[in-house]
Amino acid sequence: MDPECSQLLPALCAVLADPRQPVADDTCLEKLLDWFKTITEAGSSLQLLQENPCLVELLCHVLKPQGLSARVLSFSLRLAGVFAAQESCFQYLQQAELLPGLFGEAGPLGQAAWSAPTVRSGWIQGLRSLAQHPSALPFLADCGTLDTIFSLQGDSSLFVASAAGQLLVHILGLSLQGPAEGPPSPQACDWPVCAQKIVGHIEGSLRSMATPQVTQALNVLTTTFGHCHGPWMQVLWERLSPLVACLLQEDPLPAAHSLVDLLLSVARSPVLSSSDCGLWETLAQTLRRLSPAQAGPLALGILKLQDCPQALRAQAFGVLLQPLACVLTAADQAPGPPGLPEGTTGDSVTVDTLLSSKSACAGLLCQTLAHLELLQPLPQRPSPWPQAPLLGAAVTILRFCNGSAAPASDVGGRLCAILAGCVRVQRAALDFLGALAQETGPQELVTQVSAVLLEYLRSPDSSPTVLKKAFQATLRWLLSSPRAPGCCDLDPDTQLFLRELLPVLRKRLCSPCWEVRDSGLEFLTQVTRHWGGQAGFRHALLASEVPELAEQLLRDPESYVRASAVTAVGQLSSQGLHATAASPEQLGGQKESLLAELLHVLSTDSEGFPRRAAMQVFTEWLRDRHADVAEDTERFVARVLQAASRDLDWEVRAQGLELALVFLAQTLGQPSARCPYAVAAPQATPPGPLAQALRALSRVRLFEFAFRALFDCDRPVAQKSCDLLLFLRAQATPSGGLQEAEGSPDVPEAVLAVLRSLDLEGLRGALAESSDHVEKSPQSLLQDMLATVGVRGENQADCY
Amino acid sequence: MQGTAKALPGAAHGPKVRARRESGLSIPTLWVTAAWRPRKERGSQPGTPGSEGGSGALSGKSFNSSRKGVPGGTGLGSRTQGGWGPGPGRVLLQVQAPGRGRGPRAGPAWEPGLRPLHPPALGSHARPLGYAQAPPRQIRLRSVPPPPARVYLPCRRRRSRRCWTRRPAPSHRPAARDWLSAVQSEGPERGRAFPAGAPEAGAPGCACAVRAAGLVPAELRSWAVVGQAWSVGSGSAAATGWGAACRMPEIRVTPLGAGQDVGRSCILVSIGGKNVMLDCGMHMGFNDDRRFPDFSYITRNGRLTDFLDCVIISHFHLDHCGALPYFSEMVGYDGPIYMTHPTQAICPILLEDYRKIAVDKKGEANFFTSQMIKDCMKKVVAVHLHQTVQVDDELEIKAYYAGHVLGAAMFQIKVGSESVVYTGDYNMTPDRHLGAAWIDKCRPNLLITESTYATTIRDSKRCRERDFLKKVHETVERGGKVLIPVFALGRAQELCILLETFWERVNLKAPIYFSTGLTEKANHYYKLFITWTNQKIRKTFVQRNMFEFKHIKAFDRAFADNPGPMVVFATPGMLHAGQSLQIFRKWAGNEKNMVIMPGYCVQGTVGHKILSGQRKLEMEGRQVLEVKMQVEYMSFSAHADAKGIMQLVGQAEPESVLLVHGEAKKMEFLKQKIEQEFRVNCYMPANGETVTLPTSPSIPVGISLGLLKREMAQGLLPSAKKPRLLHGTLIMKDSSFQLVSSEQALKELGLAEHQLRFTCRVHLHDSRKEQETAARVYSHLKSVLKDHCVQHLPDGSVTVESILIQAAAHSEDPGTKVLLVSWTYQDEELGSYLTSLLKKGLPQAPS
Repeated sequence: MDPECSQLLPALCAVLADPRQPVADDTCLEKLLDWFKTITEAGSSLQLLQENPCLVELLCHVLKPQGLSARVLSFSLRLAGVFAAQESCFQYLQQAELLPGLFGEAGPLGQAAWSAPTVRSGWIQGLRSLAQHPSALPFLADCGTLDTIFSLQGDSSLFVASAAGQLLVHILGLSLQGPAEGPPSPQACDWPVCAQKIVGHIEGSLRSMATPQVTQALNVLTTTFGHCHGPWMQVLWERLSPLVACLLQEDPLPAAHSLVDLLLSVARSPVLSSSDCGLWETLAQTLRRLSPAQAGPLALGILKLQDCPQALRAQAFGVLLQPLACVLTAADQAPGPPGLPEGTTGDSVTVDTLLSSKSACAGLLCQTLAHLELLQPLPQRPSPWPQAPLLGAAVTILRFCNGSAAPASDVGGRLCAILAGCVRVQRAALDFLGALAQETGPQELVTQVSAVLLEYLRSPDSSPTVLKKAFQATLRWLLSSPRAPGCCDLDPDTQLFLRELLPVLRKRLCSPCWEVRDSGLEFLTQVTRHWGGQAGFRHALLASEVPELAEQLLRDPESYVRASAVTAVGQLSSQGLHATAASPEQLGGQKESLLAELLHVLSTDSEGFPRRAAMQVFTEWLRDRHADVAEDTERFVARVLQAASRDLDWEVRAQGLELALVFLAQTLGQPSARCPYAVAAPQATPPGPLAQALRALSRVRLFEFAFRALFDCDRPVAQKSCDLLLFLRAQATPSGGLQEAEGSPDVPEAVLAVLRSLDLEGLRGALAESSDHVEKSPQSLLQDMLATVGVRGENQADCY
Repeated sequence: MQGTAKALPGAAHGPKVRARRESGLSIPTLWVTAAWRPRKERGSQPGTPGSEGGSGALSGKSFNSSRKGVPGGTGLGSRTQGGWGPGPGRVLLQVQAPGRGRGPRAGPAWEPGLRPLHPPALGSHARPLGYAQAPPRQIRLRSVPPPPARVYLPCRRRRSRRCWTRRPAPSHRPAARDWLSAVQSEGPERGRAFPAGAPEAGAPGCACAVRAAGLVPAELRSWAVVGQAWSVGSGSAAATGWGAACRMPEIRVTPLGAGQDVGRSCILVSIGGKNVMLDCGMHMGFNDDRRFPDFSYITRNGRLTDFLDCVIISHFHLDHCGALPYFSEMVGYDGPIYMTHPTQAICPILLEDYRKIAVDKKGEANFFTSQMIKDCMKKVVAVHLHQTVQVDDELEIKAYYAGHVLGAAMFQIKVGSESVVYTGDYNMTPDRHLGAAWIDKCRPNLLITESTYATTIRDSKRCRERDFLKKVHETVERGGKVLIPVFALGRAQELCILLETFWERVNLKAPIYFSTGLTEKANHYYKLFITWTNQKIRKTFVQRNMFEFKHIKAFDRAFADNPGPMVVFATPGMLHAGQSLQIFRKWAGNEKNMVIMPGYCVQGTVGHKILSGQRKLEMEGRQVLEVKMQVEYMSFSAHADAKGIMQLVGQAEPESVLLVHGEAKKMEFLKQKIEQEFRVNCYMPANGETVTLPTSPSIPVGISLGLLKREMAQGLLPSAKKPRLLHGTLIMKDSSFQLVSSEQALKELGLAEHQLRFTCRVHLHDSRKEQETAARVYSHLKSVLKDHCVQHLPDGSVTVESILIQAAAHSEDPGTKVLLVSWTYQDEELGSYLTSLLKKGLPQAPS
């Protein structure tokens, strides 16, 4: 602890111990505790206490029933725990009888303050910090602490209840990781006292018929098996698994969700999954017992396991596919299996769930689709992957949702009625359909996919969120579509699809919903980025009115759309697909017009997003030596920098510096490929004499911009400018470059002189620190807390 | 079957029918007694938002009671368009728990395991509400003075197919959840036991409601209803953690933020099985994960999007929406987000403002990007004021004007008849550019209100404004500069209007600047959403747009060094970075200058330091900045004060109140005041604590026209003072409740009628033949019961209405005849009377 803080600490402790001095801002206490944690992690807590007796005095104050605020009480308990985490300090506080006072019956436990959840939470967190060494265990076992923790598992506060469970896990882990040689015996009497008590409590809870208690016990075990990997885990499971098995016999199954979590946690535990322990059978049994909605997460968990019997995996996959099997069966006009793995047929329970209500149906389908989406890219996914039936199911669900399906069966009809217009399911199914694009399927199905995507994109009933998903799925299918054999262009089916898609896109770009226009533009940008070079795509796009519409959207009333339009036309233009590039004779004038239009956006748009987008486009254009730019690069750069330097948005200015750096690199030579800001000797020969390059920089007013930005009130801008000038100096001064520059009468000598005189390295160091590093310092915190004392409370609650 | 419900004020008749169980068997029935009373018009008027009549509950034509179908059917029927709000009258039903009533509840008939007399088939989706072993319950409908023709029928939940409450089930019996599942999947034929006294059976408050609005013509509102139905099943299961999606007659509220706390508002509400998150704010005081609410408590319930039905954002302040992009784009919520149009438009600006500070100024990684903010905003469903938005089939929300900032709204969240109102931040007094918050008398089950100024009665705003202008004026007059750090949009515009008006009036020349181009942006939004401003601004808008300032110009960094007086609005509002801090540094050393802090500053910021009186500030590079300029704090935040909060409570008339967004001590005071004044429960949970409120959800029940007509034909029309009983059978068909005649019920359910008759033996000393005895009985009854139809049938038996009397010889005593009397429960009174009459013996026959 630095001396300034040491000096301030006694006064602060006095304030905290004084119940008449309210500590208004609870963030201060949190930050104070963070600071003490940092100090104790770095050094001796005992020494800290000895050097700052005010801290012990503060803890002693807590023992007096004097009406300390709940916040300070909670803070003190946590602080005591932080100190007692070191064994020496623990002994010291024990000897001073502080710990039993704080955490035992005599402490807050017995006071009225205990009714405040923050105090109970502080008590638990204090113990959690304290329980770091074996000597804490007798303390925990003796003071009746464990019983209190047990009862806090059912606390009215979620935070307290959860923390109590976590603490039990921690204590159990600590007590069983003792110095005992080898794994403990299964006999409980041989176990450490704390472990005996906790395990006894868990056993009691598992036998209890009260579901909350069962849930608490299962949650504790789940965390235990998730976090502890000692050899005793196996013994623990052997001891508790019969009780878990008993739970599975109960009707109804209590705490199914927690039971699933526990079984998966055990299955993932390296100690247990390798040995059998009857675990696989338990998992299989549980899969059979759970309702379709409950079984989904378990099935997914099983399929994600690395080593798991094939039969169990097959069973789990079957469970996971059940709802889709039902859908396929319901939709199937012709009898026969829907093509899913053997044994996967829509069972009646799943059908009943799907038909029971709209929310149950949507819930189960969304869950299933999300699970399969998660599973799809995993290496351990079931093989063979039933791509075709899954595609069919996704398409069918989408058709049920938009009413375009004509199910033959009664169940299908009812499903159709339930799912009609269900946005939730539509979104989930489109996501899943998009994920399936990683692999192809039978052509017939791919055609169906295209058709259903088009239906959704076309439909006036599709909500903006559904349309966004539809665009995303379409993009994924388009980009995964196969190339025509022997040529690099698109295959005929994709061409056909594109021809149908572009009019839909055109329509969507005129949507009254800005979200839809924006999604359309994002789609256009992406597809152009990937397919800009494909002749088929270029032809189709230029034949449509989409590029013109995109340009019109530069004047959209919504700033997000304007920004997306800027990006889209920038991309189109980069690929030579800009709307007006079609006619060669008008080429020059209209190119100018796009550049002018984007410059107009940069200079006049009232919102930051389109201006930022314009800067990004310009930087890209300059980097790629876009034809418009290459015509007169200096003029272009000068105009952009001039606009950027005046901009009120810091990101536009920062982007301006990015563009300046690209220009600098092109003029002077490439900076290091890895880090554009690194100061290094130039690796490439400057394209021309240095003086000439510097004059060019001067002409575009780059120096003015950079020096002004160096003292920008927004730190990232100043930082970027500093890096740019460092690069410039490195380029201009070493290895004789400077002499050459000095030799020329036109050299901006003043600039070089300024560069030499500035302590750019020092400035960069200062800027590298966050702007609030002083405010975040502990000294600042202590000062603030002390200064706040006595200040009228009115400011405190007034958030805005 | 006997049992009386506790009488409520204005109760209708007691149970009219009592069945004796002499036969040892009985039909499991649910008695419904309802009383309608004419609506007392209170509160909102038809046509005003939130005051639409109760919705017509039925769609099927046999149940759709139209006015033309019923003589004199006027009034009520015309108010039955969809929507919320009080309908024409309300009738409560209470369930008496089995065994708790006076009747012979504990008899073998109610033991689990008995098979029904006539197992109903579950075809065509129609099924009775409950089944065989369910104990009978006596239900009484009562009229409650205020609102509408809603009949509250006690039952466990409105739709047993949905998920279940998760309370601990008694150990010796299966939790009702599975019983119900069994009913659904297997049908009751298997005779699965409905546990006697099943969990929650008859628990107080477990009521579901029957809304009859629109089906009963006004003249018939005073009908009492005696319905008969299979009892409503119940289910329960224990919950793990918060809000496993359950359908239960309770509302649960858990603040993850803003519970006895200001900042990071995030309140989880579970209502009618739907889970809603109210606000998703961040805490400006932390730079780590603690700035966001701890969402792990909800992510542990499985996929967020499956678990949460929607998120509602009250307004654009970061302590209410700052965590939204994190929640939607990083934690993974992909469901709908509701906010008003102005909030949707302005939110990204504030979020961008904060992102800049968090990511680029503090160098924080793992923070949301601009793209994420946009993607998040694209998930938003923007709502209009007073527009009822259907989130799904059951959940609907509605926004009310909240004042506070542009676009701020209070939200009513409604599932069936249960509703919660969340105020967000609001202001009950109009200011220079916004109006006062308003809500109709929506009588929610719960009002969740902010309580920032729980103990403050704020002075007149005029005084504060005068004070502000005086200070600015004085500083400018002496040649000083005034810095006003503000957040991008919000109160800044209020202060701008104030200064602009003053400058105009006093004809001041000193320039006023607004930094970062927000004047233009603000203008844009205030023009766009002019309907959200107050009346004065709207009225004068055509002549003069109040947001097109004459004196306030855009600021350029170079202006800070200009000599002479000036006033500058600069962001950010807490002097923790950017332009406002830069200007502050330049001007702090001059005692002629002044900084006015119009809002709260979190610890660590320069704003906080100077407000707490620190005058020597360490800046970067160990530089010490001496603050000589004047520092003023003037709160212009637009929150309701204690008086305003009380006013709102009075306006909405909630059943309970829950305080958030305030300090515990202050809340305590307000809580007591609310409880005293309004006689309602008031809660103030800390973060993480759950408040559970039992509710009486209402379920619309249609009453068949035929049934009503039949009942009407039987006698006088009921009146407000004299309700009449109406008998019917309550059935559930295609997820809706219908009160129909028993004949129709049998038809709907595809059941054959079984008759339950009570029997009694009466011994008569009569040595004559059985036929003669029967003839004597006939003559006797014919003479005594003149108003009844007494018949002597060819087989020798005698009937009086449904009562059947047969004479038989006594097996042991030839001088005695046994009269076997049997009657249906409908004729129970007459049956009893006859029995007692016969027991007295027959008159001596003339010899």
